[in-house]
Amino acid sequence: MKIYFELNGEQQYVDIEPGESLLSLLRRLGMKSVKQGCNTGDCGACTVLVDGRAVRSCITFAAKVRGRRVTTLEGLGSVDDLHPLPEAFLEAGAVQCGFCTPGMILTAYELLSRNDDPTPEEVRAAISGNLCRCTGYAKIVRAILLAAEWKREGRWR
Amino acid sequence: MRLSGIKRYHFARDVDEALSLLAAYCGRAALLAGGVDLARSARGDLEGLIDITGMGLSYVRGEGGGLRIGATTTLTGILESKAAKEYLGGFLCEVLRRVAAPPLRNMATLGGAVASAHPWADIPTVLVTLGAEVRWSDEKGEHRASAEELWQRQFRKMFRNAVLTEIRLPAWEGAFAFEKLSRSACDIALLNCACGLGVEDGKIAWARVAVGATPRRGRRLTWLEDFLVGNQPGEGLWREVRDRVEAQVEVSSDRRASAAWRKAVVGPLVARTLKRAAEKMGDA
Repeated sequence: MKIYFELNGEQQYVDIEPGESLLSLLRRLGMKSVKQGCNTGDCGACTVLVDGRAVRSCITFAAKVRGRRVTTLEGLGSVDDLHPLPEAFLEAGAVQCGFCTPGMILTAYELLSRNDDPTPEEVRAAISGNLCRCTGYAKIVRAILLAAEWKREGRWR
Repeated sequence: MRLSGIKRYHFARDVDEALSLLAAYCGRAALLAGGVDLARSARGDLEGLIDITGMGLSYVRGEGGGLRIGATTTLTGILESKAAKEYLGGFLCEVLRRVAAPPLRNMATLGGAVASAHPWADIPTVLVTLGAEVRWSDEKGEHRASAEELWQRQFRKMFRNAVLTEIRLPAWEGAFAFEKLSRSACDIALLNCACGLGVEDGKIAWARVAVGATPRRGRRLTWLEDFLVGNQPGEGLWREVRDRVEAQVEVSSDRRASAAWRKAVVGPLVARTLKRAAEKMGDA
């Protein structure tokens, strides 16, 4: 079947299998920031935004994004032109192997789009379903709070 | 994603179309809203998926102090609705904030939680405590039943040929509280409890108590509700509750927790939840 949807600001009209996952589709389209971890919606590594909401792409059927707006980490900027949120992760040293980082950043993006002054507790609650096996969570929480501070200072675009 | 063999994905426009499609597939199709449970299921018999999110069943409406919630409303949609925030002083929102992580709440629907009704889930425990009514349609027409009654039937088999449409929560004059024990904030409960109390002239006028993840699905403790009525809320009563629950509630082991552990904590959990409900009414 064919579906159209918006991926990182660009219209897509693509062939999909009826039972294909959004994760599979996005990786086919070259969005390698979208990681396959548990494949059961538990680890958060595959998190992307659909119409601004964080969802697990591994348990989302690709057909469900028909006519909708999908954002992956690639849509937040490039290595040469970093969005302040990933930049805050670098600044705070919140990245080690990097496997959980795209999902962590997009989950944080949704939080900060609705609340640009979250408490540490609210940040921890927001990322409670995103697992990191390297750094622990202290630096990740610090990075998100730093990004929130930058957002309040008007440094986001 | 564990499903394979899907040949067609349909977008149903209304209940009749969804039912027609279900009938056409003779049991080899499934309805899909959030898809959280379906995508993780290992149903190898499925050939068709029927998306029901475009049928106008995503809404939360306040009605006479109660709530009407469309089956395809996501948990986030409920959390953000004004009517749900106002219902029972925000009790429902207090519960849903403790169910799963935000990205899963963006996907999971209340109808899905009712149709799956996992024994370990928090929502069934809360819905039986609140006296929720579930509405659905099948080829014979529209039906309704209390959540308690529904879950005593073979509901999963039934929903293979029916469309769950709405969940109604009644108005209550009193306060409710919810507690769960789990390994982390968003984890599956090892034990959960929901309670509601109405107090008149310093005494309990009505009580609703349910315990779930025992590891069985949440069910009411009607014998405890009867015992509570007429008593004065307070530490003495909560101690009595703790002892009675420990002695009478049946618990067993599963891969998450042992029967011995559940037996040790179920009494304090119920007593603590009741105390919180009483505190909300200013009668602890």
